[in-house]
This record gives sequence, C-alpha cells and structure tokens, in this order.
Amino acid sequence: MMEFAKKRGSSDTANERLHLVLMHDRIGTSSGILEQIKDEIIKVILKHIDVDADPEVNLTSQGRQSVLDINIPLKGR
Amino acid sequence: MKKPSHECQVVVITSGKGGVGKTTTVANVSMGLANLGYKVVALDLDIGLKKLDLIMGLENRVIYDIVQVLEGECTIKQAVVKDRRNPNLYMLPAAQTRNKEDVTEEQIKKLIAELRKEFDFVLLDSPAGIEQGFRNAIAAADWAVVVTNPEISAVRDADRIIGMLESAQFNNIKLIVNRIRPEMVKDGDMLSIEDLLNHLCIDLIGIVPEDTRVVISTNTGEPIILSQNSLAGKAFSNIARRFTKEEVPFMNLEHNDSFWEKLKNMGRSVFSSKQVG
Repeated sequence: MMEFAKKRGSSDTANERLHLVLMHDRIGTSSGILEQIKDEIIKVILKHIDVDADPEVNLTSQGRQSVLDINIPLKGR
Repeated sequence: MKKPSHECQVVVITSGKGGVGKTTTVANVSMGLANLGYKVVALDLDIGLKKLDLIMGLENRVIYDIVQVLEGECTIKQAVVKDRRNPNLYMLPAAQTRNKEDVTEEQIKKLIAELRKEFDFVLLDSPAGIEQGFRNAIAAADWAVVVTNPEISAVRDADRIIGMLESAQFNNIKLIVNRIRPEMVKDGDMLSIEDLLNHLCIDLIGIVPEDTRVVISTNTGEPIILSQNSLAGKAFSNIARRFTKEEVPFMNLEHNDSFWEKLKNMGRSVFSSKQVG
C-alpha cells in the first residue's frame, strides 16, 4: 500500500534539455530550424513524388557528431 | 634553477564558464605535481583579473608580472614567484592593470618555449570566455583540461570549449568534474559523471566532490591539497598523479554519506524488507 515511488529527479529534465541544446549549439542553429527544414523538404519532395505523411526530421548525435535524421513515408501505387 | 628531469608538458586548464574552479584546480594540481617531485610553474593568464597569486597564497611575494616579462621589462627569473612551501613550485602572476589584448599568441609561444627548458610541467590558468585571452592560453599548450560543474550552463560552455579545442587541433582533452554532490546525484537531482561523459564525449581525469573546506583554504591561501582528510584535496592529488600518466582509480564518493543519509538508507532497507516479508 505504501510505496516509496521513485519520483523523477530533476536531473532527467536537465539531461533532456542539455541533449537538445548541445546538438543545436554544435551545428550552430536554433531549435526552430527543424520545423522550417521540415516545411521546405516536404515542398521539394511533393514536386516529384507523393508523400504518405509528414516527414519526421530529427537531430540525433553520434558522439560529438550531430546527424540530421529525415524519415519520409512515401505513398505506394 | 636545476634542469628538469622529464620532457616538459604544457597543460592549459580552461572551462568557458567562470567560477567553476579553474584557478583552484591549477593551484592544487601544481602543488600536487611539485609534491611528487616535479618542477612546476603555474601561469596566470587572466590578464586584468588576476587571482592565482591569491589562491596560492603568494600575493605578498609578487614583484613583476607576466606582461612585464613579455615586454622585456624584466627576466622570467625575476618575475616567477617561488612557493614558500615547496621549492619545486613557481608561479608567474598576471598583470592586474592591463588587458588581454595587450598580449599576443606569439608572445605566449615564445615565453613557453623558454619555460620548457626549465620545467617539467607548465600549467596555464586560462581566463573564462572564448576571446583573445582564451586563444592566448591555448596557443602553446600540448594538451588541455576542461573543468566543469554538474550544472547545465557549465556543461554547455564546456561543450563549446571542447569544440573550439578540437578545431585548434587538440587531440588530448581531459575532463575534470568539480563540485559534485554525490548525495544529490543519488537522489536524481544532480547530473551524474556518466551523464556528463555522455554529453561531452571526452575522457575523465578527475572528480572533485563539493567540499566546504575549499572556502577556508581560499581564505587562508593554503591549497586544499595540503590539508589532511579532505576529499577534495585527495581528489586533486589523484589528478596530479594522473597528469604523470599514473593509473589511479577514481575515489568512491559513496563514503561521503552523512550520518543522516546512512540512517535514512537504513530505515528504507528495514522498511522495504518488512514489505517483502
């Protein structure tokens, strides 16, 4: 009945915030840039092929290297 | 001065953010290396905001400063201040009434080339920031130490500094995590060493726990490494040994638990075993 439920420490929040801010710092962008990239990419792709859903655009990191991960589901015939 | 016995290493201690413990690190690691028998000189490169002389407790012995050396007003030998506790240890003070822009990278390189002939270790206390003072400090170093605190703004600045050091072709950059509070890490309220290493992706050379005695050692000008039974002092002496390539295991900071912490944990385990039983 009485559980010492482990409350989520504030360091989890710190880690998430740091992760995002460091990825943007390293490539010299602000976090709003991802939405903009998403909009522009979909416009370019739509000129040539049908797209099934909104593209997923994520920044990830491999060590100190940042990677732009773009995933665009395409519509089949 | 006697000839050094080893090939000289020039190490810059830097951080980006101010107040994380660069100068304290320089003072203590310099003393630690001198205690190991190495001939050491610590340079205060924070021109205009000098503090190493105070932290080392040598402010009353200062006659000349580094800018006077660079401008040829005095010799290196005249300007270096000999430590009163360890004859292997010297300090070259910054100038208080000059600016960082009064010093060039070329001047620093020339000075350090001279110091290499006389010393086993040259430790450079970099100013905070990423401007000229920082560039001067890294211009002639063989490797770099980045000091940070387990706090997001310090880690962000450390990351920026690491990026700049990598651009400047440094391939040996080590991390010191200063002022960590193991009990807060345990409670999930402070970034852990693992967290910092995951973010910054460089090798660790030291973990220094928060220690109120550092304040006292700053007040008195006696580096904490000289006090017995201080965890921070022990941590700095371990760092000094790692500077000499000795493999020293990292301290187990769990021993630092307070009486109340232990009691709390004991209570917890008794309680949970009752739950299970």
